[in-house]
Amino acid sequence: MSDVGVRTNAILEKAEQVFAGTEALVEVHAIRERLDGPLRVAIAGKVKAGKSTLLNALVGERLAPTDTGECTKIVTWYKDGVTYNVDLFPTGSDQPKQVKFNRDDDALEVDLGGYGPEDVDRLEVTWPTSSLRRITLIDTPGVDTLNAAAEKKTFDFLDPDDTDTPADAVLYLMKHIHSSDMSLLEAFHDDTASHPNAINAIAVLSRADEVGGGRIDAMASAKKISKRYGEEKRLRRLVQLVVPVAGLLAETATTLTETEFRQLQQLAERKSNEIGPYLLSADRFIEATPETPLTSIEREQLLGRFGLFGVRQSLALVRSGNVSTSSELAAGLKERSGIVKLHHILSTLFMGRSEVLKARSALWRLDRTCAAYPDHPGSAELSLELERIVSSAHPFRELSALASLRSGWIKGRDNDLETLEQVLGVNGTLPSQRLGLDESSSNEELRAAAAEQHQRWQRLAGNPMVSHDMQTVIDVAVRSLEGEMVRLSADRK
Amino acid sequence: MSEQKRQEIQALVNSGVKAATAYERPDLATRLSALTVKAAKPDTTIAVLGQFKQGKSSLVNSLVGATVCSVDDDIATAVPTFVRYGETDAAWALVPDDDNPEGRREPIPVDQLETYTTERGLPDAPFEVKGVEVEIPRKLLQNGITFIDTPGVGGLGSAYATAGLGTLSVAEIGIFVSDTSQELTLAELNYLQQANGLCSNLVFVATKIDLYPAWRKVVELNKAHLARAGLEIEIIPVSSYLRDEAMRLSDKKINEESGCAHLVRELRTTYVERRESNVWTNAAKDVLSVCEQLSSKLEAELSVYEDPTRTDALVSELENAKTRSESLRSNLSRWQITLNDGIQELNADIDHDFRQRIRTITQEADNAIEDGDPLTIWEEFEPWLVDIVSQEVVSNYRYLTERSMALSHEVAEHFVDDGGNLLHELNIYTGDHPMSKVQGDLALEMKETTTAAKGMTLLKGSYSGMLMCTMLGSLVAVAPLTPIAVGVGLVMGRKSLKDEKARGLKQRKSEAKVSVRRYCEEVQFQVGKDSRSTCRKVHRQLRDHYTMRAEELNRSTAEALKAATSTVQTSQAERNQKVRNLTAEIGRVADLAKKCELVIQSERKA
Repeated sequence: MSDVGVRTNAILEKAEQVFAGTEALVEVHAIRERLDGPLRVAIAGKVKAGKSTLLNALVGERLAPTDTGECTKIVTWYKDGVTYNVDLFPTGSDQPKQVKFNRDDDALEVDLGGYGPEDVDRLEVTWPTSSLRRITLIDTPGVDTLNAAAEKKTFDFLDPDDTDTPADAVLYLMKHIHSSDMSLLEAFHDDTASHPNAINAIAVLSRADEVGGGRIDAMASAKKISKRYGEEKRLRRLVQLVVPVAGLLAETATTLTETEFRQLQQLAERKSNEIGPYLLSADRFIEATPETPLTSIEREQLLGRFGLFGVRQSLALVRSGNVSTSSELAAGLKERSGIVKLHHILSTLFMGRSEVLKARSALWRLDRTCAAYPDHPGSAELSLELERIVSSAHPFRELSALASLRSGWIKGRDNDLETLEQVLGVNGTLPSQRLGLDESSSNEELRAAAAEQHQRWQRLAGNPMVSHDMQTVIDVAVRSLEGEMVRLSADRK
Repeated sequence: MSEQKRQEIQALVNSGVKAATAYERPDLATRLSALTVKAAKPDTTIAVLGQFKQGKSSLVNSLVGATVCSVDDDIATAVPTFVRYGETDAAWALVPDDDNPEGRREPIPVDQLETYTTERGLPDAPFEVKGVEVEIPRKLLQNGITFIDTPGVGGLGSAYATAGLGTLSVAEIGIFVSDTSQELTLAELNYLQQANGLCSNLVFVATKIDLYPAWRKVVELNKAHLARAGLEIEIIPVSSYLRDEAMRLSDKKINEESGCAHLVRELRTTYVERRESNVWTNAAKDVLSVCEQLSSKLEAELSVYEDPTRTDALVSELENAKTRSESLRSNLSRWQITLNDGIQELNADIDHDFRQRIRTITQEADNAIEDGDPLTIWEEFEPWLVDIVSQEVVSNYRYLTERSMALSHEVAEHFVDDGGNLLHELNIYTGDHPMSKVQGDLALEMKETTTAAKGMTLLKGSYSGMLMCTMLGSLVAVAPLTPIAVGVGLVMGRKSLKDEKARGLKQRKSEAKVSVRRYCEEVQFQVGKDSRSTCRKVHRQLRDHYTMRAEELNRSTAEALKAATSTVQTSQAERNQKVRNLTAEIGRVADLAKKCELVIQSERKA
């Protein structure tokens, strides 16, 4: 366990002693429990941004129901466990009720047992699967909907009035950045220094294939857009990265069936000028002439699963000759859908920091508890110590420095600021990511790069022309580099 | 409306002019001649609005079949583009001008349009672009259609959110665009409701149906949403992509599939032609009214020749009518007083209404500033302020529209009550003249010509579109806060950071409030100026219109009176001859009136 983890654990133990025998003890226990559990990642966004679809793609199963109309109306947790189970938490009650569910037609169908969606605080789905082992995913109802009750739930969830938000990190899904996307993102963030921004949120351009009208080059176009959004000042303050993902294609790729593969093969056997006119529009594809392979119902199902973009991509892949089995096609589509990149980012950016993010949530919540009992003996001391940890533990300082950089408060040369963000781990905390090198770089190359950067920043820190804020950030970056250098030397031995 | 029908009405107008000239009524002839020019080219402006990235520009491009509005996967439209007919390709940028509130036009290269119209903008542009006008030689545009491609609502850094709504103030038709990837959102429905209040001809175009297999379901869901919201708007599904493909391949079948063919037909028949038909029907009504005026003199003369014993009664009746028509011309007539007082009241009320709105906003803004740190909230605060202010500008405009319409109706009522229809009330028509047969319907048509039909068109003509279309939302910039060094205090704890922050906070708050006030004052000044000039124009148009009618009436009654008094001393033979002549003349005029009436009735049925 890292230094932060140890210190957080220690202070929680102390808190247990301080609050022994009071009501606050329950809260402290809850904080501890959460610290030991998996990282909680909420999937938020406007209505129809493709939240449930992406959740399915991340889990690798079609669990969350998806539909053309608005679908998710209840905050739903998906976590790992021993048995398949769904618990319902009625509004205003801590006592969960086990409810019946079935899964005949892929998506989970939950019987609310007489409760209306508005009476349910949340559903907790326990699903034994390896993909949920280290991460608990939380599906939320979309905002900006004609269903005001569902929208309120999401805001309450991300920005509750009384307690801290139950999520450690957020995947924010959007079709384009709309001003209402901003207000939701802003709700999740907090402007105080100990609760910095842009370190626990990633924006996902979730229907990336559609921005380019489903053209074959749509993903390239989406990448360009993500890059530009990544440079948008307001967004930079709120999220670390913007990643394009073709959600539907990703979901289908992770759950591709043999039958679907064979159907695509049949279509791909025809000449492209024969099939081409039918790929112009969804209607044309479904209503193609009887000589076209497959029945129109089969084609409609294919379209529902792949989208026009997915069908075009799949046919191109199969025709290219590089794909001869369904698993090869699935791999190709996953790569093209952007989900592989997202997985990678999640594991380096969120998982790599999961302990720090959880500790951060825990300390923040403990601080609230202390504030609620200001006169309790020992509470003030505890609060002071909390502050000490937050301000001195390096990973927290790193997060603060990063957030300050992202917020645009620090003035300096663009190139410098960008490199500093990288060193502080904006792209991930692996040495190669911090140093902006290729993942396959050797230990020697990494150490050389680290040493070079270390020198560069130390020199700059000594420059009297550099502002105080910038110097502080540089100091943190230098510490980060030193840490990496030590670790790299140890790895070599 | 068919070409044949147009020619038919044009012929009626021409006969009307000829008749008016023959009976020495140049005033009526001028009125009809002016009409000819107007009726030939009824301009129809179609504003395309909706949230950003829904395919508005693509729709306009594929409808006109040319890339006039820039389309990009990423960059959204930032200023409105006006696309209209021209013999050759040409483009202008609309630039604000200190001397002219309507702005001025700067020619720009046609092949560089997107640099002027998109979010990216032209960093080193020699002038500030508020809008772009494009002229292209396209058949669809030839009968006076202008498309306005507006910036979408909700884009970042686009302060023009309400500009789309503003363009409705000059548009006859609004096309609301929403793609079929999902059902309507709350924001969209609210927007639609606002738009519905500003424009009575709204069409909902559901785009991108090529991409979404479930588009039919989305359309069904949207129909239900519209019905629940009480909006009666037709939904037309289209695919701009298929339309472009159809154009490229010259494939009629694909064109039909794209839905655009249907949309164009729908726009033509239901909207453009209905408007065109209205304009032409109104022309026919004007001819009808001229006929009546002409025949009044002839009828008066005739009734004296037919029955000299009635002369005295007739003369006294005509004298009475003349007095009434004279009083209509006077400054003290009721319609004039209603108009003058009404305009003054209107001016004051509109001004007060806007002041009230701005006051509420200022209070709300002050509260927001008081609750938070201006520095951290400013980036959200500023667009919020600009947006809410421009929404109030639109609401204020709506209020102005409603009130002016009401005023125009009131003035019309009083005009008619005080004798605007006095020609019908005369007892000069004898039973079996053809003219008397049309009288019932004619009275109705007359009333319509002088009153209701004027309202909206009158106002659309009065409003200075430049403000609403292009300046709105960017009237003036909100003054930025001077950046005060924020002690980021990275390594400091939360408490010490708070102290550090508190120092500058108070200063920032007061500065922010001043900045809000300055902005609101500037907007108030601009809007006030614009609505005053609108009121002036409404005033002038109503006054001119009714003064002209009063003058015409006065002349008609005067001539009828003159005819009645100067015909007494003639012989029996001469009288019989006169009666025959007059009957024939009245017959001709009545014939013309009859034709007009038939045209009006057939158009009404269609």
